[in-house]
Order: sequence, then C-alpha cells, then structure tokens
Amino acid sequence: MSGALALRGARLPGGGLIGSVLAVAVWEIVARLTAQSFFIAAPSAILLHMTEHAGLLWRALGVTLWAAFRGFVWGNLAGVLMALLVVLLPRGERLISTLALLVFCLPLVATGPILRVLYGPGDGPQVTLAALAVYYTTFLPVLVGLRAAPQGWFDLVRSYGRGRMVALREVRLPAALPYLVAGLQIAAPAAFLGAMVGEFTGAERGLGVLTVRALRALDLPATWSIAVITSAVSVLAFAAVGWAGRRLDLAPPQVLLAAPGQARRSAWQGPGEALLALGVTLALWKGTMELFALPRFFAKRPEDVWAYMVSGPGAEAHRAKLFAAMGETLAFAAPGYLAGLALGAGLAVALTLAPRAAAFTMPVAIALRSIPIVATAPLIVWALGRGAAGTIAVVAVMIFFPTLVACLHGLARTPRAVLDLFEVYAAGRWRRMLGAQLPAMLPAFFASARMAIPAAILAVTTAEWLATGRGVGALMATVASTSDYGMLWSAIALIGLAAVLAHGAVVALERVVLARTNAEQLAR
Amino acid sequence: MTFRTPSRRLFLGGALTTATAGLILPRRALAQEAVNFQLSWLHSVQFGGSYIAQNKGYWSDAGLEVALQPGGPNAPVEPPVVAGTALVGISAADYTAAAVNQGAPFKIIGVAMQKNPFAIASLAENPVNSPADLVGKKIGMALANMPVLEALCSINDVDIAEIEVVPTQYDPAPLVQGQVDCLLCWATDLPVAMEIQGVESVTMLLADHGYAVHSQTYIATEDSLANRRDQLVALMKGEVMGWQDYHADPAAAAALTVEMFPDSGLDLATQELQAERQVPLMFSDLTEAEGFGWFTDETVAANVETLALLDKPVSADLWDRSILEEVHG
Repeated sequence: MSGALALRGARLPGGGLIGSVLAVAVWEIVARLTAQSFFIAAPSAILLHMTEHAGLLWRALGVTLWAAFRGFVWGNLAGVLMALLVVLLPRGERLISTLALLVFCLPLVATGPILRVLYGPGDGPQVTLAALAVYYTTFLPVLVGLRAAPQGWFDLVRSYGRGRMVALREVRLPAALPYLVAGLQIAAPAAFLGAMVGEFTGAERGLGVLTVRALRALDLPATWSIAVITSAVSVLAFAAVGWAGRRLDLAPPQVLLAAPGQARRSAWQGPGEALLALGVTLALWKGTMELFALPRFFAKRPEDVWAYMVSGPGAEAHRAKLFAAMGETLAFAAPGYLAGLALGAGLAVALTLAPRAAAFTMPVAIALRSIPIVATAPLIVWALGRGAAGTIAVVAVMIFFPTLVACLHGLARTPRAVLDLFEVYAAGRWRRMLGAQLPAMLPAFFASARMAIPAAILAVTTAEWLATGRGVGALMATVASTSDYGMLWSAIALIGLAAVLAHGAVVALERVVLARTNAEQLAR
Repeated sequence: MTFRTPSRRLFLGGALTTATAGLILPRRALAQEAVNFQLSWLHSVQFGGSYIAQNKGYWSDAGLEVALQPGGPNAPVEPPVVAGTALVGISAADYTAAAVNQGAPFKIIGVAMQKNPFAIASLAENPVNSPADLVGKKIGMALANMPVLEALCSINDVDIAEIEVVPTQYDPAPLVQGQVDCLLCWATDLPVAMEIQGVESVTMLLADHGYAVHSQTYIATEDSLANRRDQLVALMKGEVMGWQDYHADPAAAAALTVEMFPDSGLDLATQELQAERQVPLMFSDLTEAEGFGWFTDETVAANVETLALLDKPVSADLWDRSILEEVHG
C-alpha cells in the first residue's frame, strides 16, 4: 500500500543527507545576506540561541507539552465518544454534528476571556483550548471509519440475533481504528498549537508566552528557535502516532459492498432536524452562561444578540457593519478553502503515486501546520502581500494538512483484492489511482471537506486580524478590545450560521457522490 | 467542553461561597485575605512596582495575599474584574471608558502612567517628529488602536485620510523591513526592542501633542468600592510603596523582575532600558507633590475632553480618588 508508505514520512533516503546539508548551508547564507531586514534567522544563530537558553526552552516546552498532552487526551476522547453516540443514535446525527461544528467555530477572542474567568489562574484554558482544537478532526474521521464496514457483516450480526452493541464491538470499532489513527495524527500538531495559543489568554510560562515575547522583541533567533522546536515536537508526535497505529496490526481494508443508498427521508425531516438543532443550540448557549453565572457584560445571551442585531437601538447600523465585514471575509474564505482542499487532496494523490517524495514533504507539511500562525503569517504576508493572495495562502496552509493526512489514509484503505485485480490486468499507476484508490479516498475526502469549513473560517479571521485589517476577523479583534461584546457575539452567531450552511451544502454533495461510490457510508 | 463541568462548578461554587462569606463575616484588617490582581500584559518591568510590593511584603504586612495574574494578547482585563475574580485590574482610561459605555460598573481608583505611553516610532532617515509629518506616510498599528490615531489627527488638524494604515501586530519588524514608515506603539515597548537590536529610532510621544489619556490605570468595580474598601486600600498602599521604591532605583526593579520570572524569557538589558524609559511617564511634579498614582480635577477634565474625541464619552465621575486619599492621608 503506497499510501501507508507515504505516511511513514520522516525517514530520509540516503541521498537526503547531502540534500539536507546543502539546504542548511543555503539557509545560512540567505539569512546572513538579509540580516539587516530581520526576516530569517540563520541556523547558526538558532543553534546558539538554543544552547544559550536551553534551560528556559526545556522548561517552557515541558509546560506547553503537558497542557497539550492533556488536551489531546480529553479532546480525542470527546471526539470518539461523539462519533460513537452518532452511530448508536443515528437520529441524533444532525444535532450532534451541528453542535460539534458550532463549538469548533468559537473564536479565541470569545473563548479566551470566558475560560480564564471560569478557571482562574493555571493552565485550565490551555488544556481546554488544546482539546477544542482536536475533537472535531477526530470526530469526523472516526465517524467515517465506524461506517466503513461491509453491509454483509451487519447482516451476519443481525442473523445471529445480536444488536447494535455487538455490531459496534465486532464490526465497527475494528473498521474505525485506521481512521482513528488519521484523526490522532491530525490532532497531534493541533493540540500543541492549541496549548500554545491558549497561553495567549494570560499564562505565566510556556512556548506561547515566549513566542509573543520574541516577536515583540524583534528577537529573530528566539522566534525561529521556538518554530524549530514546535515543528520537531509535532513531527515526532505525528510519527509516533503513525508508528503506534502500525503496531496495532490493523486489519487489511475490505471490499465494502453495500446496497445503493435509498433516500427514505420524509419532507419534514430536514427542516424538523434543523429546527431542533437551532433550539438545542440556543438553549445550551444560554444555559451554559446562566449555569456559570457569567456576567452579561462579556458573555452575551442569545436574546442580547437578538436585541443588538434586530430589535434594539442601532440594530440597523450594527447589521450593516457586520454583514459588510462578513461579505469581505467570505470572499477570501471560499477560494482559500477550495485551494487548500485541492492542494491537500492533490498532494495525497501525488505522494501515493510517488511515495519517496513523502520523506521531505511530510515534515514540511507538519511544520507548516504546527507553528503558530502569528509567527508564520508575517512570513506569508511578506512573501505574498497583505492582499487577497496572502490571505488565501494563509487559509490554504491551515487546511491543506488535515486534508492531506485524511486523504492519505483514505487512499491507503483501498482493498487489497481490488488492487490485485488491477495488478492482474497490468493496469498502470494512473489507472489504478482513478479506478480503485480515488473512490476509496472519497469518504475521507468529504470528511476533510467538512473539517476544513471551520478551519477555513478560523484561518481567514486570523489573517484578517494579523495582516489585512478587513472582514469579520478584524472586526472581532477591534470590538473585543473596546468591550463591544454585543458585536462580538453577533459576529460569532453569524459565523456559526455560515458554517452550518456551508456544512449542509457539503453534506448534500457528499450524499450524491457517496450514494454512487461508497454506499456503506450512508447506511443507517 | 462538557467533560470538565463538575470541577468548574466546584471551582465557581467555591468562589461564590468565599465571596458570600466575605460579605457576611465582620472584616478584620490584618487577616490574610487572598485577592487577584489582573495585569494588562505578560510579566515585565512594566509592573515593576507591583513586584517590589510583593517581594518586600508590602501587601502581606497589610494582611493581603495578592496573586499577580499576567495578561496576554487574548486576555482582556475587563472580564475578570467584572466577574469579580480579580479585585483590581490594570487598564487605561480609554479602554475603561469603552467598557463603561458598554455597561461595566468600573471606577478608576489610581493612575500609574500620568503621561500616555503611546508614541509614533520611525527610523532616523525618515522621521516623524510632529503629527503633520504623518501625512503621506504608511503607519503600522494594531487595528484596535484606530481610535488613538483618529484622536491624534483630530486634535492636531491632520487629515486621517492622508495616512495609510497597515495592520500589524506585536512586532517592530514591518518598520525595520520597510513595509511601513512608522509604527503606533508604546514608547516603552517596540522602540526599546529596536534599540536593543541596534536599530536607532525616533519616538514622538502622543502625550506631547495633546493626547491626554491616563494609562496603566487601576480599575475596580463599584461593588468592590462599596464592600471591599479595606482590601482596595491595602492593595493600593502596597502599590504606592512599591512604585516609590521603583522610582528610587529602576535598575533594581528590572533585576528583580528578571529574577522573579525566570520562565518569562526576559532580557535584563531590555528590562533595564524599559524601566528607565517609563520613569518620566509615571513620575511628575504632580506625583512628587501628592504621591504616586494621583490625579487632579484638571487632569481628569483633560482626559474627559480627549475621550470625547475618541468617541468614548464619560463624565468625571469615572474617576474616584477616595481610595488614594485614604492611602496618602
């Protein structure tokens, strides 16, 4: 399975050593030539900084890693439990996925202060934000995996008179394991990044604290040292999860035969589910804030947002301001979303066709995902400018990695029997890709297309806040600093709504496509 | 988010019980009481006086156990103070005014920075020495500070449409790299960083061009002013003593800061320079005569005027001198 080979990643082939030495030499020379403009730190300067501040960096790494680890465990646990819940209660799928999506869409400007007030001092917010950064990208692949089993096996379980729990234990869980590995691999760098960003909410120590300090102090060797450390940690965690996954001796992928999905949805089911999801969302929103007695000043309730946007004084001006900003944001989010998906899926296909390239591609891909965007955004902005290209690039960078990993795993799930068949007919690589591997990848691809919706929104708002100064991202940053929490929560509500609508569109497309290629995903 | 509910509820329950007990039980001046003090940024010598107060026991001697909570890029000061998890927060008059306009029950009970630290930093070969020099320039700034630039322009009759605003964050790199001609930043922050890196810069203090906004102000809720006065007085008293020590020896404050927070990645030379640069902003003839943190009806009136220009109308009632009067009295 070439897909699995590509995932093995970081192992450098023999010629790679010379290449690496050369790359470092070029890096050193470029850095020294451009030293006056403070863009790139030389490898020698990074090494010097690391040795001089070894104690500090180790302590900071330990703090951030511990928070990231706990967030990783909690977040993945939550993701898996939610996926199990959906499989056991198929009727609740719409509701659970909507809630999962909405919580994932909550921006740091809103969650940061709330978590800090709830937890007080300590690393509670860091752990929570790390968990929030990973649960969704585990939930979706695991859900796909839990359904990736032949219909015949479920029939077998049923013919023995056994119920859902047995089917879950004997059929679904083993089928979900490879997908869980994909989710965990995506989660590893995300949890670390989540913990670092969590330190922005007011922490004493950690790599996130040092990042802010280094950027502000124009301390390039420090910034780059932290970037090198976070990348290294993420690459190692990624490789470790992959290694553990292979040790689990996963069952080979099966030929997944299932009857073509028949739409048995009555006309009122769609709107009914949507209404239920809306009602539960509003109840949870209000209920949580009331339960913790969060002051209305910064924790706006649904009715506050309604008053701000619809019934209260100045509502018309508020709406005009927010909608204008949202329009700008969507104009950048949509192309970045498509570009990131195409890049991720395209790279997955390329790496499957030419697995050797993975040796140097995967580490770069992981590094791009693991360094905080506040550190990478300035470089992207410098290279591509503060206009459309820079913003779209930031979005694409943020979503191509989860797509890449999920699609690689999807490609690797091509059944052996199918590949053998292509072998027998001496079909070429491309023929095999189009006829066998791409169809096997489709469920994972659609899972990434869903994951990428909130990721694209978060990325574009971050880029707007840091670089372009337009759109909802800039608006949220501005209103948060002037305590205009009515606008902040209105923006969050609108973003959530946009995400749910986009998600609905992807799901509709997914149903049409998978009904032809992967009907097992639609069987309930 | 749901799986941690029990522990949080316990935490909040605990906090509520403590708060209620505090209201009911008679208060003795010297019982050790724990309070949180919310700083506005990561630990640095910007809060040097507070570290001295803690280190020398100025608070514990008065029966107060103060926990200094660092801020950060996503840690606004107002929420913990409104929620009551922090007794006092470090804010600035403009942020406080915005929050009060949104319904927060704040009072300013002390002013650490008599002169506003906002400045325009530029490079020597292309300097900004007066607001008029801004015309035709590209300025890098955090978007949140847009009202600051607007007020500066309106006070000095500069057409803001003639200035190109480029959003930047946290770092002086865009100026050094030539992406912008100048930066809106704190005089004690990015210019210090550039000097340490060997980049010479020109700093124009906004306070020298009519921008009168108290900064690094101490805020507390009206409820705390009514019910937790003893704690407020004890906290501010420690602050005043700490900052007096700081004034006497800023370099010692810088050294103490680096020593107290070994995990913050602080550089001693940077801290010393910053400590020295903030002295003229914090200490004036007024504080010499009346004591650290003081404000007068005149300085408040000047603030009210500037804040109106910033579209944050407030009345002089926002300032409450009663705590300082008790401290200095």
